[in-house]
Amino acid sequence: MASLKDLQARFQAGIVSGNDDVLDDVKDSERENRRVLFGVYRNAYVLRLAEILSNDYEITHGYVGDEFFDKLARAYIAAHPSDKKNARWFGRHLPDFARKTEPFSGHREIAELAALEKALADAFDGPDANPVTIEELAAIPPEDWSNLVFTPHPTTIRLSCITNAADIWQALNNDNPPPEAFKLPEGQTVLVWRHDLTSHFRPFDAEEAMMWIEASKGVRFGVLCEMVATFAGADDAEVRAATYLKNWIDTGMLACVSLDSEASDLVLGTAH
Amino acid sequence: MIDNKPPYLGFGLGLRPEHYQEILSGEPNVDWFEVLSENYMIPGGQPLRILDQICDRYPVVMHGVSLSIASTAPLDLDYLTGLKALADRVNPKWISDHLCWTGVHGVNLHDLLPIPYTEEALEHVVKRVGRVQDFLGRRLTLENVSSYVTFNESEMTEWEFVSEVAKRADCWLLFDVNNVYVSAFNHGFSSSDFLHGVPRDRVVQFHIAGHSHEETHIIDTHDHPVCSEVWDFYRQAVAHFGPVSTMIERDDNIPPLAELLGELDHARKIAREVQKSSQVIAAE
Repeated sequence: MASLKDLQARFQAGIVSGNDDVLDDVKDSERENRRVLFGVYRNAYVLRLAEILSNDYEITHGYVGDEFFDKLARAYIAAHPSDKKNARWFGRHLPDFARKTEPFSGHREIAELAALEKALADAFDGPDANPVTIEELAAIPPEDWSNLVFTPHPTTIRLSCITNAADIWQALNNDNPPPEAFKLPEGQTVLVWRHDLTSHFRPFDAEEAMMWIEASKGVRFGVLCEMVATFAGADDAEVRAATYLKNWIDTGMLACVSLDSEASDLVLGTAH
Repeated sequence: MIDNKPPYLGFGLGLRPEHYQEILSGEPNVDWFEVLSENYMIPGGQPLRILDQICDRYPVVMHGVSLSIASTAPLDLDYLTGLKALADRVNPKWISDHLCWTGVHGVNLHDLLPIPYTEEALEHVVKRVGRVQDFLGRRLTLENVSSYVTFNESEMTEWEFVSEVAKRADCWLLFDVNNVYVSAFNHGFSSSDFLHGVPRDRVVQFHIAGHSHEETHIIDTHDHPVCSEVWDFYRQAVAHFGPVSTMIERDDNIPPLAELLGELDHARKIAREVQKSSQVIAAE
């Protein structure tokens, strides 16, 4: 086994690092020398992985152009050799890589565009779950609503953006020229999820984002209403909270609405 | 005759997302589909929903690209568990992958890399096929790959190696007509020797595909129509092996479905002609 193991190590080093030791292991053919023949593997390696990245990050590629994307792809391939069997996951670190690595990090919208594309792809083939319907919510007696807790649909992904990447994505996806990139004064929460087999995203305003984040932690609806009241005023706070909730349900963002078990026990205990 | 040989399925295509709608909304003349296992080893969503619909309507076989059966790295149990779960969902007629390796040291090169044809490699592969078959609870089907280099230390021909794997590990073979043609050109052996060197009773599937000719060597790109030389070799393969489930494999530069259906009809025509002439010979 040592010999096969060593040979495979040399072969891989020949492809990934350009090490020529492996050329002593292989033969010239009748028509071509071994360097050219082994070069088929070397060339295919980078080209194949770059193509995977280009397919996975089509909008990002369109935004930065061929030359810059090629630079990004080659830098990423060198920094993150694929460690998964399935090529579907090869590019999963690209948004982080673009955010942390010069010169890509100097254009924060690139990392955020990539993060949005990754989230849309992850939502597209993420776990299945039936979304909660408005009828299911309506079946819960109003007096219990303050004890409702919510489970986000398993495909939901929350992104925090500091640029107008969502607008850039939208323009490019519609084949329009993208707007100039700029930093948002207060940042933006964008929620990505799958509904009816299609990936969607929607920027939240600050209040809805706050309520979503707290709801995702299992905070009860009664407490969420109090938080909304504190966030932007008590007047119509419950209506605002209920409107957000209805919208989440209408668009399939929630997988489960249930009564908080601890709170229910408490209610039952008080009744006794 | 080996027991439980999978059924003859006729003429199939590789399932590609570009053709989902056309396949599901029409009734294309395709007898079966080959699905790329990795494309459906995902948590959920539309691809799996479509896969279920295809499985309801057609016989399906699973074809993987990252089993890495010849790698000296440990078998990836996560991958095998995912593969088995997909097989439970699809109920494929068989599961295939390539007689190659795809990486070591925790790295996957996403390529089908060649094996030195040595007794050491043979023993290693046979042992691994046995373990995978035990895990999956079924025989594997292994495909010969196109290769661009040969190793100094090889001790036998490719077809001897392939045959020994099939016999010793008791697995099936996917005879890739194009890959034999490509490797024969690249390494200067006779494709006919390969054809006659493989045990007939082990072959359960043919792949036919296109390639890119670089004058001094051929690259197996699967992005072109099948060329006349490969069709000629397919004719030889059908004459030698008899009816074997046949599939047109296009992985890149995916054309409209109609173009692939045209190639599939051509394969049918060749198989019919071969069958007729063999009947004539038998009658004489």
